[in-house]
Amino acid sequence: MTDRLNKLTNKQILWILVGVWLGGTIILIAALGFGHRNNEFQIQNEFKLVNWTHWGVFSINRAVVYLFLAAFLTVGTMLWISRRMQMRPNRVQTAVETLYSLMRDNITRGNMPDSMARTWFPFLAALFLFLWWSNIIGYLPLPTNSEQTFNLFGAHIPSFALYASTANISVPLVLAVIVFVIFNVVGITKQGPIGYTKSLIPSGVHGPILLLIFPLEVVSTFTRLISLTVRLFANILAGHLIILFMAGGLAVILGLSFLGWALLPVAVLVYLFELGLIATLQAFIFATLAAIYIAGSVTHH
Amino acid sequence: MLTHVLSLGAASGLTKGFGIAIGGGLGAVGAGVGIGIIFGKVIEAVTRQPEMRDEITSIQWLGFALTEAVFFYGLVAGLLSYVLT
Repeated sequence: MTDRLNKLTNKQILWILVGVWLGGTIILIAALGFGHRNNEFQIQNEFKLVNWTHWGVFSINRAVVYLFLAAFLTVGTMLWISRRMQMRPNRVQTAVETLYSLMRDNITRGNMPDSMARTWFPFLAALFLFLWWSNIIGYLPLPTNSEQTFNLFGAHIPSFALYASTANISVPLVLAVIVFVIFNVVGITKQGPIGYTKSLIPSGVHGPILLLIFPLEVVSTFTRLISLTVRLFANILAGHLIILFMAGGLAVILGLSFLGWALLPVAVLVYLFELGLIATLQAFIFATLAAIYIAGSVTHH
Repeated sequence: MLTHVLSLGAASGLTKGFGIAIGGGLGAVGAGVGIGIIFGKVIEAVTRQPEMRDEITSIQWLGFALTEAVFFYGLVAGLLSYVLT
C-alpha cells in the first residue's frame, strides 16, 4: 500500500484530492439535501463583546483579554529572547533578529533621519510588535465565546472562536489617535505653532490658491486618523468574516450542509493567506505610516 | 435607474444586502485594478534593475497595503449601510 502511494506523482495526488472533494460534495448533497435558510444564527454575534465582570468602563470582555495577551506576549517574548542571547544564534534568535532588523532598518531608519530614528525606535518597535501579536493571536481559536458553551466532563467551557482585538474598531482607533497626537505635538514643539501650520502647505504654493489648498491639507491631516484606523480594522475584520463564512458560517446561514465541506479548502487558503501575509503586513504598514507621519511633521515639505 | 433597482430589491427583500454588494463589489473593482498595476510595475522594475530588488519589494508591500485598503473602505461603507438600515 505504501509502495503504491509513493509511486504516485504529484499530479495524480492532486487529482485524487479533487476527486475526494467533488465526491464528498456530491455524497453530502445526496445524503443531506438542501435545507432551509436559518435566521437564528447571526454572524455579528461572533464579534459581540460580552462583559464578564461588572466594573463599569473597566469591565473585562474578550477584547480586553486579547489585548492583555498581546501586551504580555510582546513584553514576554522580547525579554525572554534578550535574556538568552547567544553568540551563535539558534533558530528562534535568528528569527527574532530578522524581525528586529525589519523594525530598525525598514520601519524606522528607512523613513526617518538617523537622529530621530534613535529617539523613536522604541515606540515604533513596540507599536509594531503589539499589533503583530494582536493580529497573530487573532487567528488562534481560543475559548472566548461565552454565549455558546460546550460541556467537557461537566464543566461549561466557552466555545472556541476566532477573534482579534484589532477587528474591533476602538483598538486601532486609540492607537491611531496616539500616533496622531504624537506627530502633531512633535511638529508643534519642533517648528512652533506657526511654523507647523506653515509646513502643512506644500512648497511652491503662493497667492489666492492657498485658500483652496490649506483647508484641503488640514482635512487630509485628519483623514490620516480615519485611514490608519479603517485600514487595520477592516482588513482584520474582513479576513475573519471570510474565514467564518467559508468555514461553516455560510452553510449554517443558508442551511446547505454540503457547503461546509465544499468551501473548506477556500477557508484553509484564506486562513493561511491572512496568517502568513495580512497579519504581518498590516502591523508593518501601521508602524511604517506612523514613522512617515512623525518624520513628516518635523521636515518642511 | 438605481431607485428602480433598489425598489425591485425592496420588493424581494434584498435591500439589506444591497449596500454590501454595491460597496464591496465596486471597491473590489478599483482595488483589483490598482493591485494589478502595482505588481505589474514591480515586475517591470525588477526585470529592468534586478539589483534594486530588495528596495522595490519593500515599497511594493506599502503600495499593496495602501491600495488594498481602498477595497475595505467600500466594504465598510456597505457594512455601515447594512447596519444602519
